[in-house]
Amino acid sequence: MSKNLIILIFGIFFGFVLSRVGASNYDMIFSMFTMENLTLAWVILTAIVTAAVGMQVFKLLGHKGYKGIDIKIKKKELTRYTALGGAFFGIGWGMSGACPGTALAQVGEGKILAVFTILGLIAGTYIYALWLEKSQQ
Amino acid sequence: MGFFVFGNLLTDPWPWWLGGICIGLLVPLMYYFTNTALGVSTGYGNLARLIFFKTRLKWLHSDAFKNIYNWRFFFIIGIVIGAFISAQLAGMLLVTSDMGRFTQMFAWPFLYQALWFFAGGFLLGLGARTANGCTSGHSIHGLANFHLSSLIATVFFLLFGFLTVHFISFLQAGGM
Repeated sequence: MSKNLIILIFGIFFGFVLSRVGASNYDMIFSMFTMENLTLAWVILTAIVTAAVGMQVFKLLGHKGYKGIDIKIKKKELTRYTALGGAFFGIGWGMSGACPGTALAQVGEGKILAVFTILGLIAGTYIYALWLEKSQQ
Repeated sequence: MGFFVFGNLLTDPWPWWLGGICIGLLVPLMYYFTNTALGVSTGYGNLARLIFFKTRLKWLHSDAFKNIYNWRFFFIIGIVIGAFISAQLAGMLLVTSDMGRFTQMFAWPFLYQALWFFAGGFLLGLGARTANGCTSGHSIHGLANFHLSSLIATVFFLLFGFLTVHFISFLQAGGM
């Protein structure tokens, strides 16, 4: 099976689960932040713990992937912009009731307004690239 | 709904712990089978390349986007398909202009609503790139691997999400 086909299946699984657990539901995200309903916080926390345990098992197996290939864990470096980016992201999260993954799930669920979230995400990514280019000149 | 009593997994909402376990398992499984780190936001660079197809910006031509139909593209497409299947099995409408509490609270003309979500998406895109990750890449993959940058990013995601939603509630109470 080709890598892209496996990834497509993972993506379908991810989108299905996000939708099924309510992560792509505007009200669930809104009520997580107002603390009326913490279901989504529990989803995220369970996901982190499961992933952490899974990665420890993976480490015990010597970071060997399928067919014995060596896997390197991708590390994200801390920069002076991490907190600023996090703040922008948080405002966008609260405004749109979505994150980059769940916005895609909302589109799959037929929510027209989420199409505009996606267009905004693309524009924001483009402006980042533009800003990076200007700041390096 | 009892803790261990499932309805139909294909049509009913899932309990939080089942969703959390399934999402969390994706992190090691994606490493094991495809040598990729769970993450969505960088894939919007692929989409930016598709829309701004004449762009010559260096970042959009960096190694991550040598082939814009790479794994990130297929992951993004998969999420849309998976959620579509979920929604259709649950009997949701094919297309809807509804966005839950938002559209109930703010009965604005559609154009204004669209602009609001575009602005929200814009901050998500700019913020994810500036922080170098999003909820999946930082808060799930990064925290599970004990990365300091992910902890800081996640604290700011949550803090500013909290402030924003409370500000929206405040606006709504003000009768906008």
